[in-house]
Amino acid sequence: MRVETIIIGLALLISLAGCGAQQAEFVNRDEIDELIPEAQTHVRKVLDGAGIEGETGHFGKPTNMVLWERLPVHYHGAYGAFAETQIDEGADEVSTLNVSLLEQNLPVEPGQTLAWISGKYAGQASTAVAALNEAGNQIEIDPGLSVPPDAGDRFAIAPGAVISHGRKLYAEHCQHCHGVTGDGNGPTAKYLNPRPRDYRLGKFKFTSTGSSVKVTRNDLSQIVENGIPGTYMPSFKLLTEEENHAIVEYVRWLSMRGEIEFKLIQALRNDYSKEAVDSAVASARESDSKLSSSEARQNIVAEMDEYLTGDWVDEFNDDTKFLADQWKQAEDPSALVIPKVARVADTPESRARGRALYLSAKAKCATCHGDAGLGDGSQTLAVQKNPTTNTDYDVPGLFDDWGNPLKPRNLATGIYRGGRRPLDLYRRVHAGISGTPMPAFGTVLKDEEIWDIVNYVMHIPFESRDQRPGDGAGESVPASTEVATVAPDESTDIAN
Amino acid sequence: MKRFWCAFFMFWPIVAVILCWIAPGQNWWFPRGPSGTGAAMSPLGERIDDLFYMILMITSVTFVGTQVALGYVLFTGARRSDTSHDAEGAEKTWFTHGSHNLEVMWSIVPAAVLLFIALYQMEVWAEYRVKDKFPEEVRKGPQAEVTARQFEWRIRYPGLDENGNPLELMPDPQPTDLYTVNDLHLTSGEPVMIWLRSEDVQHSFFLPELRVKQDAVPGLVIPVWFEATKSTEYSLLCAELCGWGHYKMKARLVAEREEDRLVWLQELQAAQNDDGVPDAGDASDDE
Amino acid sequence: MSTATPAAEASHGHGHHAHVDDKLALLKKVHTFSTDHKVIGVQFLITTLLMLLVGGALALGVRWQLAFPWESMPFFGELFAQQGGQISPEYYTMLFTMHATVMIFLVIIPVLAGAFGNFLIPLMIGADDMAFPLLNALSYWFMWPAIACFGMSFMFGGGPAAGWTSYPVLSAIQQAAPGSGMAQTMWLMGVTFVGVSSMMGSVNYMTTIINMRAPGMTLFRMPLTIWGMFITAILQAFALPVLTAAGFMLLFERTLGFTFFIPGGLVVNNADPTVGGGQPLLWQHLFWFYSHPAVYIMLLPAMGMVSDMMACMARKPIFGYKPMVYSMSAIAGLGFIVWGHHMFTSGMNPALGMTFMVSTMMIALPSAVKTFNWIGTMWGGRLEFNTVMLNSIAFVSMFVVGGLSGIFMAAVPVDIYIHDTYFIVAHFHYVLFGATLFGVFGAIHFWFPKMFGRRMNETVGKWHFFLTFIGFNGTFFPMHLLGVAGMPRRYADPYLHPYLEHLLPMNQFMTICAILMGFAQILLLGNFLISIFAGKECDDNPWHANGLEWSAPSPPPHGNFPSVPIVYRGPYEYSDPAQPEGKDFWMQTEPPPTSS
Repeated sequence: MRVETIIIGLALLISLAGCGAQQAEFVNRDEIDELIPEAQTHVRKVLDGAGIEGETGHFGKPTNMVLWERLPVHYHGAYGAFAETQIDEGADEVSTLNVSLLEQNLPVEPGQTLAWISGKYAGQASTAVAALNEAGNQIEIDPGLSVPPDAGDRFAIAPGAVISHGRKLYAEHCQHCHGVTGDGNGPTAKYLNPRPRDYRLGKFKFTSTGSSVKVTRNDLSQIVENGIPGTYMPSFKLLTEEENHAIVEYVRWLSMRGEIEFKLIQALRNDYSKEAVDSAVASARESDSKLSSSEARQNIVAEMDEYLTGDWVDEFNDDTKFLADQWKQAEDPSALVIPKVARVADTPESRARGRALYLSAKAKCATCHGDAGLGDGSQTLAVQKNPTTNTDYDVPGLFDDWGNPLKPRNLATGIYRGGRRPLDLYRRVHAGISGTPMPAFGTVLKDEEIWDIVNYVMHIPFESRDQRPGDGAGESVPASTEVATVAPDESTDIAN
Repeated sequence: MKRFWCAFFMFWPIVAVILCWIAPGQNWWFPRGPSGTGAAMSPLGERIDDLFYMILMITSVTFVGTQVALGYVLFTGARRSDTSHDAEGAEKTWFTHGSHNLEVMWSIVPAAVLLFIALYQMEVWAEYRVKDKFPEEVRKGPQAEVTARQFEWRIRYPGLDENGNPLELMPDPQPTDLYTVNDLHLTSGEPVMIWLRSEDVQHSFFLPELRVKQDAVPGLVIPVWFEATKSTEYSLLCAELCGWGHYKMKARLVAEREEDRLVWLQELQAAQNDDGVPDAGDASDDE
Repeated sequence: MSTATPAAEASHGHGHHAHVDDKLALLKKVHTFSTDHKVIGVQFLITTLLMLLVGGALALGVRWQLAFPWESMPFFGELFAQQGGQISPEYYTMLFTMHATVMIFLVIIPVLAGAFGNFLIPLMIGADDMAFPLLNALSYWFMWPAIACFGMSFMFGGGPAAGWTSYPVLSAIQQAAPGSGMAQTMWLMGVTFVGVSSMMGSVNYMTTIINMRAPGMTLFRMPLTIWGMFITAILQAFALPVLTAAGFMLLFERTLGFTFFIPGGLVVNNADPTVGGGQPLLWQHLFWFYSHPAVYIMLLPAMGMVSDMMACMARKPIFGYKPMVYSMSAIAGLGFIVWGHHMFTSGMNPALGMTFMVSTMMIALPSAVKTFNWIGTMWGGRLEFNTVMLNSIAFVSMFVVGGLSGIFMAAVPVDIYIHDTYFIVAHFHYVLFGATLFGVFGAIHFWFPKMFGRRMNETVGKWHFFLTFIGFNGTFFPMHLLGVAGMPRRYADPYLHPYLEHLLPMNQFMTICAILMGFAQILLLGNFLISIFAGKECDDNPWHANGLEWSAPSPPPHGNFPSVPIVYRGPYEYSDPAQPEGKDFWMQTEPPPTSS
């Protein structure tokens, strides 16, 4: 033991002496630079208070997280509310509390801290948990409380244990690709093809939920466990369930942070971008020539402050509530895509029907995936429209919502990024792949038809295997510009 | 000061020997693994360990012998240099250009020992790598194909027939094949074989507890056989630099009894053919 | 010096009068394109000492990550400010790749062959300069394009990251790793420049040693240093072309689309599948055909220099001079047929494994003979425990460990387990650092007076040795245990694997030792630089050594010797009872008593 103490002591000395104590920081979206400085400050204040004295915002820093209760994230070891308790009149302190646990993520163990989140003890020194009874509705605390809390007061046991564990694991395993902020822009990211996921849009490709529904915890956990074949996302199979869960929660939290940041900037971008304010100042001075430009600007800033203390607060509350509900909704069993009809038997006839649908105008699979499923359909040569800006991309070919060029999957390689079960393929066809031009066919095709397509697609790798040497599985952008102008008209309905 | 330096040069070999002596007790030795003792978990591995210990014995004796000789030479040399070369009664320097007999002796003895070590190792190596010497059991074919890629192990098993028995593993993927990642399930208690391939760069298939290591070379399919004596989990990792995520290639080998493995394969097959319809009754792991 | 020859006397006189104020003669020309072998030697020495610090800093980066994985890195952490100072895995791969590259190609090979080879060969054989002075100068100046290439490779994609062995396919496919793009190309060009530099040196040394020996300097009167350099030069001449060819093949593969090493159908980083029918093992064969002899290129000159220093400091002839020469030749010869022991687990034909095991075992034999001879040399000697001797003893002591651990690897079945673990890292650091670098440290102290007419500070030298030796063993001896515990090399975070988790405290201990060792090198550099100007002045033969170089003035003038020295004796005539009272050495130029 002594040797280890010396080692650690020396190590501490060295680390104290040597490092400039770098701290990981969240970075903001590039769009924040378009805003006027006052608006930027507001965004930062709400998010993490970076650079503002005494402000931590709703998210804080990676090393000093703020756990915003409104978000449906499993932050704590356990989380619950105080229930009505009969208190002995004579006792001078309460040490046994009736509670209802709302979520339990880690086993409750003696010695864990209990922190009150609301009520008269909110923010006060935490007490240690002595035990949780078997039924899970009564906890012993030590030391007890002289005055019992009010019913409905919420508390957390092992506060932040899950999310801080997640953050630590994320820093070890994920951060160098996905970035501190979850922007998919860590130092390793620029070498990877495809690029690591940017969580900040709140979109994940391979989900078990319907189109436009968020991703479930289970989907993320499956991706962490099994990786994504054909990409650099490796399988982290040997992480324990607890570690996996912690990482997933941290990723969801980062994702929510990114979405809220996006919303915040969107809300101010129209009226309070540098450009907008400049033109507003100009027009104000046009109508009132006595107005100096700094006065005009001050008026606009005052206007913004008024908005931010008035309407915006409600808007923001609505937005975040809507967002939280979206994430909650994904966890509802009804959000899952479950086929109503069992898989159609994988017969040559079924495959033939699938093949016909594959080529048909109804499903139009071949326009992207190509006649032979090699991912070389006509759309890959056409110039597409960017769905958010509604302008043409500079180069032909498909793009995803993150702005990365995207090649339709080559179905002949036998690599299925979203999983190789028939169910997974069914879901890809039924609900599409969010963030990509792969549309949802759930409303267009009947279940049996989807199964026929699935049967056909699963058979493509075994079709005429030796007639297709060296097929391309890459994501490179075709450079044939002269074909590029041929069929841009179809692009919009494919990219929905 | 001379004595200090002599002691200094003798001090560190003593520390080295002590360190090696206490290492197993401090868990600085072979990975303890499922046995808890650090013993190899495969018969061939045990023989490799035996060879290791044999070499360790020989080298330890040589090491101690050389260091003792060095120590003696240093101490006497230091004593001799206390007096000047031509002082009265000084110990004379031993003026010699060498000794033919000694040279012959210390050439032939090490040569014999080294040759012995070399020849003694041949058999284990041959059994491990030479196809004709492979055990009978593994000649019937591989149980799985392990494909290394940046940065994970993709594993392909043959599917099961109607009776629940494994089909033969084909060199090319088949529609019936079953897949896992980072999770290699093989039969324990008998020699088993895998095919080892690489999808991109060079990797190395390393089972430390079983003392198995074989590079996965792009373009080659390499048969690797081994036998896990105990039904449990073993570490599987990559031992050849394969890029930035080299250290991430963490996987496991689950050695289990043949009947357990078949059950596991059946479950895998059911899961892999899952169409998600609740009536089918099988394990849909979504909820 | 009653029997000194006129030549020796003349040289003394010359040194004391004409050159007494010119102790910095070599240093003053260090920035010029001088063709004087001594200036080139000093140029090489200073360059490699600087590179030693660079390589050491890179190694400390590696050690930092192993001791404190993913923690804010001192100094370098600034590069990753956004990451909270946490380095990324590809940066880690770059660190160990460049550490090895710098240490092997820019420190050890040039310091032995370049610095000491250049400085000592003409002086020790009694020549006025190298056979091809211009070629010699070029061999130094070709180091700079190499340094520039290696330096530039840092700027592309974070530096080459395929290890110093650069195994294809990782190094051949541009998308395979961040550093496999332009950085790898620059790296290959750097290696080519180093190869050109070495080749020019090698040709020059062979010619010089064969043709320009002073009268009477027969082959078996040559000091073992010269034998070491000579055999090294031959090794380089035969092995280097293979590496250069392999390097060009890889370069062509990367840039012109040839296929030597890449098999077809590989999908790397989602690029299109590769086309072609190359064989990755081909590179390994070619690479190790050079790089195994290169291990001896990195060792033999140090062996020679240590023999010279040891005989001088023990005041005793080398024990078994001819067996020493023969074993060096045997190492060189066998060195060409053992390369396959780097590839036991690579999937080559198992029959080759057996052959290479036998030849590898056999190469341990001459090393053993040499070790016994060194101990025999000190046996019954009158040992002086100065910095030179301490470093030489450390050489022997460390070489024993490095040699013995080699036997584990030579045994194929055992190698299955320890291959690519830290056992290997421990082994080659014991040989390359423990042996070669301690030899070089000794040689710096030993020949410094000849270069600058002053001595290095003895106290600082001993402290440097003490700290380096402790730090070295503290860093590298535990690596054997890490290897036995199954910790693979080149892992940015070994503790991800549960069976390695408990090794973290040991790695932290090793890192602290490594930092200690790193700081100790500042003592060496400081001692070196300050002693050039302020060291204690000394005469031309401060060690009372026999070699021809000690009969020249310090520093030797252009042309080295005032007149051609005539050699009458072998290089190790110490403590001969026939020597007169008050003298225990005979310089090689001293004629036998009968002839005077």
